[in-house]
Amino acid sequence: MKRIFLAVLMGVFMLASTEVKAQDISPERKQAIDSLALEKVRDLSKYIKIVGSKDTPWSEANRVIERVEELFAPDAEIGVSSLSSQKINYYSVRKYLERLMRLNYDKVEIEWYNIEYVSDLQRQPDGTYVGVITIFQTFKGYDKEGRLVYKDTTKKDITIYVKRKETQIGGRLIGFWDVLLGDMRVKETTH
Amino acid sequence: MLIIFYHADCQTYSISNNIIDESDFYMMTKQMSQFFSRFNNEEDQYGVKYQPDSPEYRDNKRRAEILPILFDSENPRTNGKLRDMFIADVTSDEEHYMEFLGGEWFAEVSATFLWKNKPVSISLILTVEQENLGSKWVLTNVIFTEFNKMFPSGEMAEREKHFLHPMSHELDFFNIHKAFRNPQYIEYYSSKNYYPDYLTLFFYEIKNGNLTFENVDAVKFHIFQIGNWYFEVSWFNRTGHNAGWLISNLIYLKDEEKTSLLKFYQPK
Repeated sequence: MKRIFLAVLMGVFMLASTEVKAQDISPERKQAIDSLALEKVRDLSKYIKIVGSKDTPWSEANRVIERVEELFAPDAEIGVSSLSSQKINYYSVRKYLERLMRLNYDKVEIEWYNIEYVSDLQRQPDGTYVGVITIFQTFKGYDKEGRLVYKDTTKKDITIYVKRKETQIGGRLIGFWDVLLGDMRVKETTH
Repeated sequence: MLIIFYHADCQTYSISNNIIDESDFYMMTKQMSQFFSRFNNEEDQYGVKYQPDSPEYRDNKRRAEILPILFDSENPRTNGKLRDMFIADVTSDEEHYMEFLGGEWFAEVSATFLWKNKPVSISLILTVEQENLGSKWVLTNVIFTEFNKMFPSGEMAEREKHFLHPMSHELDFFNIHKAFRNPQYIEYYSSKNYYPDYLTLFFYEIKNGNLTFENVDAVKFHIFQIGNWYFEVSWFNRTGHNAGWLISNLIYLKDEEKTSLLKFYQPK
């Protein structure tokens, strides 16, 4: 009986090991996941620009906010601090974008630097891979005379969650890597 | 319409008549993940990973050239002979690489809490612990001056006055009330191996509602992974090419010094 139990236990362990091994990410796979994650971050950058623009109609901005929410995990938070105050203010994705939409400038310019840094992926205890993508953004606010009244450059560190998922296509189970954005830290730089 | 003019190695361009120099951001060590990669020479100058089988991957000659950019160049402590000794040691034939799951590295999170409704500064020490399929950051210690004040090391002469004599058991410990007469000295009645567990005190105060979290003020890292060296990595938010996560302190440690320092960061 003891022997059967041990054999079963060994079997489960070996199965578990195969499962873990099967989920290890090769450098080539990591590159593909990075591209997928960067695509989402670029979508986010594009959407932030649309929401921030004073030329975007309110209804269109609201529609875009919904698209942005779809990029993020449901409980994602955005933590913002500035050079003048280290205090981090926390917002939901919707609140953050609604704030951006309501900023009191006549014209707004949002530009992104061509730099995207993608961290290594680490696994959290439940097996989901976690990484961080860093990007930089310059924001400029102008008054109605066209004078620049506010400018900042921020570093945005965006969490990415990478999960192995399965979907049925034509009756067959197909595995794929799903990328979702998570918490985002927004920190002002001295630039 | 945006007209983008690329200049030298595509790092300087203008957007709406403003010259933007991206080289600062390329040079900045943007994440601790990048600090690890640069330290080990696992990526090129644009942050693109080398394949583990490529000749550049962890190449010590290249590491010796790159490592100086990971030091705060404005601090004499991290910009002189000690730094050069460190680089020579780290890039010698022995394997001195940083590993995310290699242990012996800690985060120090300086945070503001309200303690009995007064703002106080507390440093939280965390380390990466492996669990199930992955890992997570866990608390290992806290530094809070109010806790330290509660357990001063005290004068030896004073300590020697406070004990229960060895025949107290024959008296049914009726004399134990002496230990509780003055709360200031209560810990003198414990074993010489006793050390206050500040993390438990911290949890106790949080659970009792005496301590409430307000904000994270700063983060730095303490690294013990590399041989007989200890170094600190801090965030430098400044312009120029020497910014981001950089080595802000470097100390050569003997084995016994390292063991005792590690006990502070991870008491158990």
